[in-house]
Amino acid sequence: MINYTARRLLVAVPMLLGAMSIVFFAMRILPGDPCMAMMGDQATTSALAECTKNLGLNRPLAVQYVDYLWKSVRFDFGNSFRQGYPVREYIGRMFPHTLVLVLASAVIAALVGVPIGIVSALKRRNPLVDYPLRIFALLGLSMPVFWLGILLLMVFSLRFDLFPLIGGGDLDGAIEMIRTGEAFLYPRDFLAAVGSVLHHLTLPALALGFTLAATVSRLSRSAMLEVISQDYIRTARSKGQTERAVVYKHALRNMMVPLLTIIGLFVAIALTGTVLTETVFTRPGLGKMLVDAIGARDYPLAQGAITVFTMTIIAVNLVVDVMYAVVDPRITYR
Amino acid sequence: MAIMRDVAATDVTAIVGRDESRERSRKRQLRRYLPIGIGGLLAVAMIVIAAAAPYIAPLSPSAQFSDAVLKGPGAQDRHLLGTDEFGRDVWSRIIWGARVSLQVGLASVLFGFAIGVPLGILAGTQGGRTETLVMRCADMFMAFPTLLLALIIVTALGGTLQNEILAIGVALTPNFIRLSRSLALTIREQDYILAARALGSGQIRVMARHVFPNALYALVVVGTLYIATAIRTEAGLSFLGLGIPPPTPSWGNILSEGRQYIKCCPWITTFSGLAIMLAVLAFNLVGDSLRDLLDPRLKGE
Repeated sequence: MINYTARRLLVAVPMLLGAMSIVFFAMRILPGDPCMAMMGDQATTSALAECTKNLGLNRPLAVQYVDYLWKSVRFDFGNSFRQGYPVREYIGRMFPHTLVLVLASAVIAALVGVPIGIVSALKRRNPLVDYPLRIFALLGLSMPVFWLGILLLMVFSLRFDLFPLIGGGDLDGAIEMIRTGEAFLYPRDFLAAVGSVLHHLTLPALALGFTLAATVSRLSRSAMLEVISQDYIRTARSKGQTERAVVYKHALRNMMVPLLTIIGLFVAIALTGTVLTETVFTRPGLGKMLVDAIGARDYPLAQGAITVFTMTIIAVNLVVDVMYAVVDPRITYR
Repeated sequence: MAIMRDVAATDVTAIVGRDESRERSRKRQLRRYLPIGIGGLLAVAMIVIAAAAPYIAPLSPSAQFSDAVLKGPGAQDRHLLGTDEFGRDVWSRIIWGARVSLQVGLASVLFGFAIGVPLGILAGTQGGRTETLVMRCADMFMAFPTLLLALIIVTALGGTLQNEILAIGVALTPNFIRLSRSLALTIREQDYILAARALGSGQIRVMARHVFPNALYALVVVGTLYIATAIRTEAGLSFLGLGIPPPTPSWGNILSEGRQYIKCCPWITTFSGLAIMLAVLAFNLVGDSLRDLLDPRLKGE
């Protein structure tokens, strides 16, 4: 087990290194000078040279590259070109916003998607059940999250004025209150902060959750189909067990392995979804930060955001792979 | 007499039964081919609209009608789907926007296919060090979700049609590598590969004449589904302002520009988003039903 985990970790290292190199070099061939972007095209040549020197962009590329890798290992992504303060700090402030969005939409996607997937697998011979469910899945899969987001905004924010148009609520305040323990001293203020977070979270989570629910329902449908056609299911049926017992005791338990696959894929899709969702809802978060950083040619900030995204995905897949071996003893690493 | 009646009765039920079963099988056929019919029609319609945009669009996509700025949609009007903030006809812009979406959708999948499939088949058939090298490189790119990788590339190169195709194509390539490798892994163990080798076929001939054709079905199915992904990714990039810059219309940038006017003029975003959804839906439907029709495991269900 430990051996397997260690091997799997070793494989992840070059992958991460490669991914980070792609990011670094892509950012370096960007058209447009970050100093120019910062100071405008009116800046004098000497001012630009000064700026380039301050940002360390005049050093040889290889030096910048090694420097970037070495610092990234320690989660030091340098300072934001624009704002000046450390990227790490910026990411630290944005991460919770993205995390709550991913978690909330994961809950919605699971609550909607998993039952739909299982029912449509079990009732696949009944067109009255199967067809509407498949249409739902197809629609969810085809609907761009940013369009759904705008539709939700038009109806629930503009028409009925039920939810805010922009922002992420007082998440920083809520976290601060938990950290300092004020949450227990002033529960009313804390609940107000949590309420504002949820209020701002509802529409984005619905938009992202619904589009993800479609993916989840498909994955769980095929997972269920795979499990249900196994021999042990036939054995269980021939033993005379009730359909309920077959589903709950045999099928669902064996769905753990496919379920892990779903989680691994889900995180990657959800993180991509946050880029678009946060932009539509003008919500603070890593995705919005990345888009803004790219627009402003803020290399370190964009690099930091992409690195965090990639690291998260690699880490989740690593955990999923290790979990496979835990859940299914037949799997061993070659 | 009694016997006669009985015979007649059984005959009637037999005939009715046969009719019923024929009816049922016709229904089953219809159920089987309806999704691919709808999807195929939609997809072909989209491609035709894109190709014939100059002839189909009632107005120029860039013509500005100063007498009709931000005018609402109406069936009787000159502007069927209304106009945008510059007084441009939304319907004509959407028709022209189909060009960008479909060109990027089809070309980037072709790109990914052309690069990814040979590499994947090589890795799967050859094995050994080649396989490790190819797969490690693919894994590296797989660490990025499609949109994120396309976003990085298109940012680095700038938003033009060619760069968008390249960016999304590169982002899709590792998926094709993975799939064709796993197909090749199964195919290379088949007896006919052994037979081909015994007859003196070289490695390249085996890959091109035996492994590739046998992997083609599955690759085409998945390729169709990736067209849908590519169209959605293109729309996402354009929406984020990284795709083809305005004034050239693309569904994503029409939607993005219309975002500022959702309060007064929701039709701009509504219809451009609907176009994206229909295009993605069409290719998803075709890919899905192709898989259902071709996948032997699901046959008869």
